[in-house]
Amino acid sequence: MEQLDLLMQGFAGALTPMNILWVIVGCLLGTAVGVLPGLGSSMAVALLLPMTFALDPTAAFILFAGVYFGGLFGDSTMAILLNTPGQASAIASTFEGHRMANDGRAPQALATAAIGAFIGGMVASVLVVFLSPTLVALSSSFGPPEFFALALFAFVATSSVVSDNVLKGLAALVLGIGITLVGTDGVSGLTRFTLGSPQLFDGISLVTVTVGVLALGEVLYVVSRVKREREDLETRVAGRPFLSRKEFAEAAPAWGRGTLIGLPFGVIPAGGAEVPTFLAYEAERRLDRRRRVPKFGKGAIRGLAAPEAAGNATTGMAMGALLALGLPVSATAAIMLAAFKQYGLQPGPLLFDRSPELVWALLASFFLAMVVLLIINLPFAQLWAKLLLIPKPQLYAGITLFCGLGIYATSGAAFDLVLLLVIGVLGFVMRRYDYPVAPLMIGMVLGPLAESSLRDALLSSVGDPRVLFSSPITLVIYALLAVVIALSVRNSVRKRTRRDL
Amino acid sequence: MTGVDSTGNGPAGKQQSFWHGRSALLMPAILAAFSLFLLIGSALLDAGSTDFPGPRFFPVILGSVGLLLAVLLALGVLRTPEPVAEADTAPGTASETPQRTYRTHSDFVALAWVAGGFLAFALLLPWAGWILAGALLFWCTAHGFGSRRPVFDILIALFLSSVVYLIFSTGLGLILPSGILGGGF
Repeated sequence: MEQLDLLMQGFAGALTPMNILWVIVGCLLGTAVGVLPGLGSSMAVALLLPMTFALDPTAAFILFAGVYFGGLFGDSTMAILLNTPGQASAIASTFEGHRMANDGRAPQALATAAIGAFIGGMVASVLVVFLSPTLVALSSSFGPPEFFALALFAFVATSSVVSDNVLKGLAALVLGIGITLVGTDGVSGLTRFTLGSPQLFDGISLVTVTVGVLALGEVLYVVSRVKREREDLETRVAGRPFLSRKEFAEAAPAWGRGTLIGLPFGVIPAGGAEVPTFLAYEAERRLDRRRRVPKFGKGAIRGLAAPEAAGNATTGMAMGALLALGLPVSATAAIMLAAFKQYGLQPGPLLFDRSPELVWALLASFFLAMVVLLIINLPFAQLWAKLLLIPKPQLYAGITLFCGLGIYATSGAAFDLVLLLVIGVLGFVMRRYDYPVAPLMIGMVLGPLAESSLRDALLSSVGDPRVLFSSPITLVIYALLAVVIALSVRNSVRKRTRRDL
Repeated sequence: MTGVDSTGNGPAGKQQSFWHGRSALLMPAILAAFSLFLLIGSALLDAGSTDFPGPRFFPVILGSVGLLLAVLLALGVLRTPEPVAEADTAPGTASETPQRTYRTHSDFVALAWVAGGFLAFALLLPWAGWILAGALLFWCTAHGFGSRRPVFDILIALFLSSVVYLIFSTGLGLILPSGILGGGF
């Protein structure tokens, strides 16, 4: 029970008045950004990154944990009330959740989501605490070939599973990986693709790309059709959010199943929580069809409970994977990774040895963040919806201003602002022609890992490609990859035959 | 593709009917240009005496894959242009060309206000300072989104950018340029 002792020390570190304040501030800010239309939890982390520069590392990461989970809560609040998921992981919650809200059961839907997210996140945090030594041990058996296989798996899985059109997904992926090639090559030290511009020697920052593609691209996309969009801002929220015993009993198994589905995805780099949330939703729908009175399509509480629990379970585990393996699983985790590096910390097995007080305080703050979020979301979820009463022009103008602030504060150069605009326009073009942005982000996140591990592996084997398939771990990953490809081929064939009928 | 004339998109000449619904070629074009940039950049890179998988290895693979994808995507667009009548048409309030389809429509004037405002913000920031440049960005974006209260927007813009300046510069110690407003202090 060494972990429990360490966790208790972590709580002791996290429970100072100042740190509790940072958890609360983080939760509030994260929820606020998550509630805004089109902005999800990864945006919350990216935009609030400069805020943390003034803090010491422990306080900064505690703030981050609050922002991260707060963003997720905010996402699902809006998905339920207004059918506007902040990011892809909240889409599955809109199906039944928004229907519940339309039926006048918005408070119950919000409570279901908040409790589900709480359960998923709590279970994941507990698991991270107890599994972290195992993960650390596992990571020592990971060499360049294994990391390359993992990156390749993430690339293919995100571009084929998450997007409808595999070609478009792969195109976005190529752009994402390509952006990471600009700058100084880590292996040889040569500068590449900079066109001689010294501002690009350090490469293009992940934060710039995240804010550009996800926030500025979204703003440009919204403005290009703002005069056409039909408004659907009516919410019927009334009454206090509480679940009757019957509703609670109905949702409970779905929370459990969702959590179970979500947990393993936290360590698989498949682009974050989209896949598990959809899987959890599908599983509940299949189970529902077998019941005597199917409830799906009429605001089924289980159809909301499962994806919410799954999403937060994945997120919690992803933080564990980031800390123990140093492996960013989603864009948000990658930004956190960038933040770690800013403080001269390298997540991975050594982090647990070198700065245990930071790691355990951070893990303890996950629990605190969950509790704080439950408190500020359960009774006040409807207050958050009031944020949408800000008129659109001023709301989006504010978001744009904060995009500029976030980038200028991290880089301090006007050049990066121009770069942000260029990437924002790219994000707009991608949205307009239905290209998924998730593969671009995952390419940007794992591109450097893929390149350096591929080259390290080939260098060590003097150019013999067999080294890539040499260990059992790589074979397992490639086998999984084959399964993913087979499934997505089967799905697209099915879709095509259905269309023909 | 025969339905082009019936969409009422001006005089439907031959050339126009080719490009109509095919603006989606833009993405393959961007991808192709980027891939060529990677390939040409790799060719021009003086890799010197690096061992086999040198700095050119990965970009060449990526650039080749990118070119292939661009060709496939372009072929896809050429074979099936963006389905013109698929999406729901714009709601009745639409001012110009009401028969234009919903999905393909983009308001380039509004877009230009936001993008142009951002460009002006980026270029003016070092000289005008955060407060003025930020306020300009806010105002241009709000205008692009169709705000009808320009004076009110100026006040909010200045208020917000000043608050941000105060919080971040004095509270959190980030350096935001003060520009001409800070010249005398």
